Amino acid sequence: MTALPGFRPSPSPRWGTLARLRRGWPAYLFLLPTLLLVGYFSYYPAYIAVTRAFTDWDGLNVPNFTGVENFQRAVSDPVMGQATLNMAIWVVLGLILALVPPLLISELIFHLRGQRRQYAYRTLFVIPIVIPSLVLLLVWGSFYRSDGLLNNLLASVGLSGLRHDWLSDPGTALYSLIFLGFPYVDAFNFLLLYAGLQAIPQDVFDAAKIDGATGWRRVLRIDLPLLRPQLGLIAVLAIIGNVQYFISPLVLTSGGPGFATTVPALLMYFTATRDGEYGYAMAIAVLLMILVVALTGLSRWLSRGSR
Amino acid sequence: MTAGPRRVGLTPGEIVRQAVLVLFGLLALFPLYFSLVNSFKDRVQYAENLLNIPSTLHPENYAVAWAQIQGPLLNSVIVTVTSVLATLVLASLSAYAFALMDFPGRHLLFGITFALLLVPEFLTLIPLYVQIRNLTLPSNYLAIILPTIAAGQPFAILVLRAAFEAIPKDMLEAARLDGAGHLQLLRRIVLPISLPILISVAIIRLIPVWNEYLLPSLVLDEAHRTLPVALVNFQGGGAATAVTPNYGALMASYVLSAVPLLVLFAFLMRYYIQGVTSGGVKG
Repeated sequence: MTALPGFRPSPSPRWGTLARLRRGWPAYLFLLPTLLLVGYFSYYPAYIAVTRAFTDWDGLNVPNFTGVENFQRAVSDPVMGQATLNMAIWVVLGLILALVPPLLISELIFHLRGQRRQYAYRTLFVIPIVIPSLVLLLVWGSFYRSDGLLNNLLASVGLSGLRHDWLSDPGTALYSLIFLGFPYVDAFNFLLLYAGLQAIPQDVFDAAKIDGATGWRRVLRIDLPLLRPQLGLIAVLAIIGNVQYFISPLVLTSGGPGFATTVPALLMYFTATRDGEYGYAMAIAVLLMILVVALTGLSRWLSRGSR
Repeated sequence: MTAGPRRVGLTPGEIVRQAVLVLFGLLALFPLYFSLVNSFKDRVQYAENLLNIPSTLHPENYAVAWAQIQGPLLNSVIVTVTSVLATLVLASLSAYAFALMDFPGRHLLFGITFALLLVPEFLTLIPLYVQIRNLTLPSNYLAIILPTIAAGQPFAILVLRAAFEAIPKDMLEAARLDGAGHLQLLRRIVLPISLPILISVAIIRLIPVWNEYLLPSLVLDEAHRTLPVALVNFQGGGAATAVTPNYGALMASYVLSAVPLLVLFAFLMRYYIQGVTSGGVKG
């Protein structure tokens, strides 16, 4: 019966490729706007980034091919070295912050008695997403100032000796930015873990109870292994996110004092927008992308290897 | 299994758990409280105490803040609403094609769209900025709206395709026999059935668009700049600068900029929770 052209369960092998292409025109029409937009605003810029990394592009004039010169410069640049170290610290601590508070909160809520109570607390921990991320950043920036909340609190508990300008001290600036928003429970990560806990069959919990696995032992032996996919996804997203994140050092410290809060992504941004060295900036961006792809591949391999 | 009525009692463990949760919850909301109480203080009150509710209120801070951010607030609403709606329209068309139509190159084209989730944002940021700078657009709003629609496509298509595929085929084929075209099927059956999922996708996508800072700060001119860009400008440099800003007005602007999302989430919170927990975004 041919009354349903175009529907997938009824493929028509009788037609040749050309005829099928012609019959497929509504589908191509449906896809056209999306393909044009992602082609021009996603794929083309990505192509420009990768190809211009091998040139001395200044953002305006026709670039000259310079081979791997930009990459050599990037790996031998001491500022890049410091920035990479900062990024490594950020990624490691950021990973802990992305996993531990949401896990703690989702476990606590999941163990509450009563659906209504669980629902109420779940809502409480999603509400903070109404705070625009820039507002959170700026409010915390004001906490860190010499006349800010943090120093006021220290003074009020008799620890005036610890007072200082947190973002201007090279020793504390980076950690201040990393812990900004603490103990920020990411709503997305929290909901993901909570849904994961809900998906565990009740039988498993009952069996664990019979075996005497309750409280912490249950969390370690049942919940964590079964939450592996969710934890793995959060870990990958946190790593990818933190490798490319540079908004708080850009807005609050401009990468300073010195290069104490400079990360490679920020260096890429400044190299292009402030120094006009677009080719070099793209080389840094390509190196970062390789890192992101490698880390993503590694974590997928890790999570598959032990299954 | 059907869980019997669980005992809603208050054991010591339950009290400790709730206490910890309340503490964490209040800490997460603390920036909002901090902005709110300090938005009603003048400079002297702010310097004296950062945590109390002031005895004499200074609502004039809100007038100062409003004058600064009313334009950007409107710009943010225009940009966000247009981007998210257009993202949904285009992604619906594409998801319909991928889910319910048969055509050569279906897998290849889906792969091409899906692979975009792997292209990091910082890689395209600078080339995009150069590209848009050299582009003559009929309106400066489009400088941020168009790339934002493109950036939203992979996620929206992925979720919508799964939803459209789950629609019973009988229903669609019956309508098809009645002579409905693809566009009619999409508008009359597929979209109405998928409304909850469309709202979920819209609201999940809305958060990053509303908060977007980097590209807008580069491509939008002063008249069209959005709220995050305006807030940073209003604040006048980072916390590391020595100038003491007018904190009252600053905090008032922070409170005002949280109001739109607060209103939205008062109505649509459950769609966000459902969307994230439904498995549509599981890796």
